[in-house]
Amino acid sequence: MTQVALRNVYKRFAATEALRGANLELEPAEIHALLGENGAGKSTLVRVLYGLVEPDRGEVRIDDEPVSITSPHHALALGIGLVHQHFMGVPALSVAENLMLGQHGSLARRHAAACELLERYQLGLDPDRPAGELAVAEQQRLEIVRALGRDVKLLILDEPTAVLAPSEVELLLAWLSGLREEGRTVLLISHKLTEVSSLCDRVTVLRHGLNVITREVAGLDAAQLGRFMLGEAPPPPGQPPQTQPGQVALRLEAVRAQGLSGIELELRSGEILALGGIDGNGQGPLEQVLAGVRTLHSGSIELLCPPLALLSGERERTGLVLELAIEENLALPQAAHRHGFLSPRALRGSALDMLQRFGIRARPELPARVLSGGNQQKLCVARALCGGPGVLVAVNPTRGLDVAGTALVREEIRSLTASGCAVLLISTDLDEVLELGNRIAVFFRGALLPLDPAHHDRAEIGRLMLGEGAA
Amino acid sequence: MRGWRSVLAPLGAIGIALVALGLLLLLLGADPLRALGALMGGAFGDRNALENTLLRMCPLLLVGLGVALAFRCGVWNIGGEGQLYLGALAASALATRVLPDAPALLLLPLVVLGGALAGALWGGIAAALRVGRGVSEVLSTILLNFVALLLVAYAVHGPLQEASGAYPQSDLFPLAAQLGLLPGTGRVHSGLVLALLLPAALWFGLFRTAAGLRLRAVGLAPEAARYAGIRPERELVRVLLISGGLAGLAGALEVSGVTGRLFENLSSGYGFTAIAVALLARLHPLGVLPAAAFFAALSTGSGAMQRVAAVPAVTVQLLEALVILISASFALPRRTD
Ligand SMILES: Nc1ncnc2c1ncn2[C@@H]1O[C@H](COP(=O)(O)OP(=O)(O)OP(=O)(O)O)[C@@H](O)[C@H]1O
Ligand SMILES: [Mg+2]
Repeated sequence: MTQVALRNVYKRFAATEALRGANLELEPAEIHALLGENGAGKSTLVRVLYGLVEPDRGEVRIDDEPVSITSPHHALALGIGLVHQHFMGVPALSVAENLMLGQHGSLARRHAAACELLERYQLGLDPDRPAGELAVAEQQRLEIVRALGRDVKLLILDEPTAVLAPSEVELLLAWLSGLREEGRTVLLISHKLTEVSSLCDRVTVLRHGLNVITREVAGLDAAQLGRFMLGEAPPPPGQPPQTQPGQVALRLEAVRAQGLSGIELELRSGEILALGGIDGNGQGPLEQVLAGVRTLHSGSIELLCPPLALLSGERERTGLVLELAIEENLALPQAAHRHGFLSPRALRGSALDMLQRFGIRARPELPARVLSGGNQQKLCVARALCGGPGVLVAVNPTRGLDVAGTALVREEIRSLTASGCAVLLISTDLDEVLELGNRIAVFFRGALLPLDPAHHDRAEIGRLMLGEGAA
Repeated sequence: MRGWRSVLAPLGAIGIALVALGLLLLLLGADPLRALGALMGGAFGDRNALENTLLRMCPLLLVGLGVALAFRCGVWNIGGEGQLYLGALAASALATRVLPDAPALLLLPLVVLGGALAGALWGGIAAALRVGRGVSEVLSTILLNFVALLLVAYAVHGPLQEASGAYPQSDLFPLAAQLGLLPGTGRVHSGLVLALLLPAALWFGLFRTAAGLRLRAVGLAPEAARYAGIRPERELVRVLLISGGLAGLAGALEVSGVTGRLFENLSSGYGFTAIAVALLARLHPLGVLPAAAFFAALSTGSGAMQRVAAVPAVTVQLLEALVILISASFALPRRTD
């Protein structure tokens, strides 16, 4: 039973004031939501609690005792665990080894404990598989279970559901309710307001590093939560674009590769083909095949309308070069096919345009690393969309984006389609698939199950995702 | 402004190391001020010392630049020594055997360029092994060092040996193949000018061109670079060619500007010291300039320190090690600038 409070916390990174007197009070045995736009300071605030960021001012109190948390080790000793926004394990180690990272005991005992955890939380992961081979959603589940296995009193989750499918989200939410029943506290950062309104007890909203409200969730629906965050009503869900499909832009014939068992698709200019499904059913392999980093066993890929822009699903690993400046990241695709001088002024100018268009508030000369998770995502989107692609392959393009950012990016994808680009959307987000897809198909065990256009609804997609109706 | 910081950072590390060495000398019972004074005197004290230091700085600068570029691209080229020797070998073959009678206007550029190309070829072998067969360039470049040394040994005992056959060395270069001296100096060859211009040129290449951006991206995150459309293998080949070429150029300048002929042990380990130079420079082309000057000064000044202050010359090696450790511990985690 712990009460945790953050009082009047300030944190400034060079020119950016990430936190400007933020407050957060957590009661025992509650699920508390932390909401806010991209860059509002949510991750920074929880990093203070986990000993990763030292606040400039303000205090942390646990059970009314002021403490200064100096390291994650210290935080864990105090019973505070954190699940990061992205995978923080060791890719080369196995699932079991990752689960037991930093814990003591003999090899055999640790392996047994890991297997028991996997069993208890029905993770459905092979304990001996290297974590680097897992799909993003699987890595995320692994990360969550690792924290659950630590027996913490306060579990913080930073956007745990960003790439999880609805069934996986339900499972996670059930775990979290279980924790609450055991008397533990959960702090959940999420941009998915429906989850928040259905699960959480209280909510705190951050805006520009300041908490604007803390209150009970009971009686609030997603739209009202959105209004607290934005100060205005969230935009209504959009519709797939109305355009006339043109010539074939990308054709995959009987593509077989490791993890893909015969993908067949034809994508036309001016249409969005949305591929849904639970992560780990072929999304990653298809992305890699299209990126040219996974060998084809058989079949063919024909790109009829180049260039192809790839918006990668793993922004930290394959999306951005985190240590390069924002403007340099934006210039990479041009630099890949060009020689000669890069004028700093031109670089800066076009970067400022793109940052403005996608609502990223940051100086272009800073390294991409310092951007908030959502802003890094927007940076990837900006780069993929602005190069004038003939074909866009977008994998979870709104991963980690706030309500407004999500609407903005979906609108940009629609207008790109309207201007004649062919878009292949690979998304684990059902709403996204429905809001964007002119045609929809669902990944299942390395193959695609096409959806009958007459039945573009959640129930039908849900059935296909679980492999039902495959006959 | 960032450029200035990259020049100042190595100086900071050097300063701290000098203080540490001073304390150590105190412990050994020597007079640190006198010893360091002697070191400085030996390196910069009179014209002869200064010219000596400049001559040693030249290869360190060139090879160090190549190493810095390669390391930035995530390519661990440890083969500077071998690439330097191959450059010297090719230059000597051109000057003493292939075209000894050509006029200077033709021969000198050929000798210098031939050396650079030979060094590039030696780097290219490592690149081909890496791209074609997946052989780590760390391994191949180290081993190619031995091959290059043996090739030089074979050449000076065999096909390139001087006409008199007295010593295992090549003939003296014809005058047309020797670099002229800088006006007003006794021994400093004009190649130094080229070497001094290169850091700025490479800085420009690295930070102001598309190729430089590709190279840095590959070094920082090869997968992300690949997804952005860059081909990391291509960058690897390119950077090994450039890196080897710079070392080969250093070798050519050495034979054509300093020794006038090829022999074994020509280099006194420039190719290896250059790695320390690159690390001290934090892999920044502009930082290579002070870093190379420092290591050159150490090697010319150590003799004087030993003579004047009765401090064993090995303490200089201690100082070198200290500098590398200090600069590495300050510098390596941050490679953004
Ligand atoms: N190390 C850093 N250096 C400089 N600025 C930083 C650093 N870390 C965070 N920031 C800045 O602080 C602000 C808050 O970032 P934070 O990651 O906390 O946002 P967030 O609320 O988690 O957003 P998101 O929903 O996008 O993840 C952002 O403007 C970000 O650019
Ligand atoms: Mg965040």
